[in-house]
Amino acid sequence: MACARVHKRWSIVTAARTITAGGATKGRSGADRDQLGSRPVRAPGPPTTVWSVAQFRLQGSKVLAVDMTGDAVKAKNGAMVAYDGQMSFKKMTGGGEGLRGMVTRRLTGEQMAVMEVKGHGTCYFADRASEINLVRLQGEKLYVEASNLLCTDAALRTGTTFTGMRGASQGNGLFTTTVEGTGQAAITSDGPAVVLRVTKQYPLQVDPGAYIAHTGGLKQHFQSGVNFRTLIGEGSGEAFQIRFEGEGLVYVQPSERNTVGGEV
Amino acid sequence: MPFTALNSRMVEARIAPGQRMFSQRGAMLAYRGEVSFTPNIQGGQGGIGSMIGRRIAGEATPLMTVEGSGTVMFGHGGHHVHVVDLTGETLYVEADRLLAFDGSLDQGTMFMGSQGGVMGMVRGQVTGQGLFTTTLKGHGSAAVMAHGGVIELPITPQRPVHVDPQAYVAHRGEVRNKLSAALGWRDMVGRGSGEAFQLELSGQGTVYVQASEEKL
Repeated sequence: MACARVHKRWSIVTAARTITAGGATKGRSGADRDQLGSRPVRAPGPPTTVWSVAQFRLQGSKVLAVDMTGDAVKAKNGAMVAYDGQMSFKKMTGGGEGLRGMVTRRLTGEQMAVMEVKGHGTCYFADRASEINLVRLQGEKLYVEASNLLCTDAALRTGTTFTGMRGASQGNGLFTTTVEGTGQAAITSDGPAVVLRVTKQYPLQVDPGAYIAHTGGLKQHFQSGVNFRTLIGEGSGEAFQIRFEGEGLVYVQPSERNTVGGEV
Repeated sequence: MPFTALNSRMVEARIAPGQRMFSQRGAMLAYRGEVSFTPNIQGGQGGIGSMIGRRIAGEATPLMTVEGSGTVMFGHGGHHVHVVDLTGETLYVEADRLLAFDGSLDQGTMFMGSQGGVMGMVRGQVTGQGLFTTTLKGHGSAAVMAHGGVIELPITPQRPVHVDPQAYVAHRGEVRNKLSAALGWRDMVGRGSGEAFQLELSGQGTVYVQASEEKL
């Protein structure tokens, strides 16, 4: 049993399409993009290493498989679609951030219903057929909307920060969720997300409705292109943008949420 | 008559004279050759008896018979389509998820209560699938629809698989299903993890799970 488990783990390295924050991003081939894989391919060869943390891998592009050996992950409430082995699901009141975190989330409107999944085996997560992106964090901070966060390692800390005007234009509040620490996180996007690198020379402008997450040392400004055309109702629908400056990565989805900015 | 996947949401079926095929009414997208589509009042195979059975069971999805010679393309509602090839086993699937299937397959209706007793009936209610499900048995192919694509999970006697009832699509083989409830005090006070009910599938076979908790 233990051997089989480790064996399965071994295939992860090849199976997962991991986007390493701060590192190079692997391209996704367009042809197999839409197809979901059938079953995990088990690589031959005896395993030599045993990880004690939960391993995240993508099964196709819309299902996240997490291999666990007695450890725990935090996931969006109700996102489990299947599992084998033994699992227990427990709701973490207030996102597992204690009483203070709970009150903060209530006040900021960044409530997220989180459950703790613990056990031995493989657990599969999916959320309304949205695409899943894996992010590996090595001590940096990931800023993501609570609604786009699917699953994180239990070792990662979550919190809330103030985003200013950007949040208001995005239509999901003035606050955003942060994930910090070392481990993996899975974020969802409507359609396959692109990861855009921002460097000092090349700042980036993003439509607030298409932004999903960012990592690294980025400063964000809110800019508007409102002119007289917008006022007479002849706007291009791109009246507002978020401008990112600094060094980091921005995740953008090929779809736009309904935002105030999108209407004008 | 195998189905060939054109892309993740469309399948193409080759049809030869003397063969027939059933598909959900209105699911044809395009065809080549001389193919005729006749509405099937009986909702599939069998005589009047089977038809009444299906009506009572609420598993009577409007079907059409496809005959002739040529190729037909099927798709419906932009849902992902998954092709299941059967070699003698039985596929258990909801009638409304069935896009098209070979005429060589035996179509039947199964009462959920016969597998798992009272819990089987509760299961049908919880999942919104009703008390009956459609079975397809024999040699041939079937095209099954799902929201957001399908993954196949193997079930072995040592490794039963638990599935969220809303994400369950179909299963095949010698599989027993049981609704397991993990209701705790947390669920009673509205603080549940959203995973109170799970479908436990044990035995030998495969379960098809969709990447979404939405119904079709």
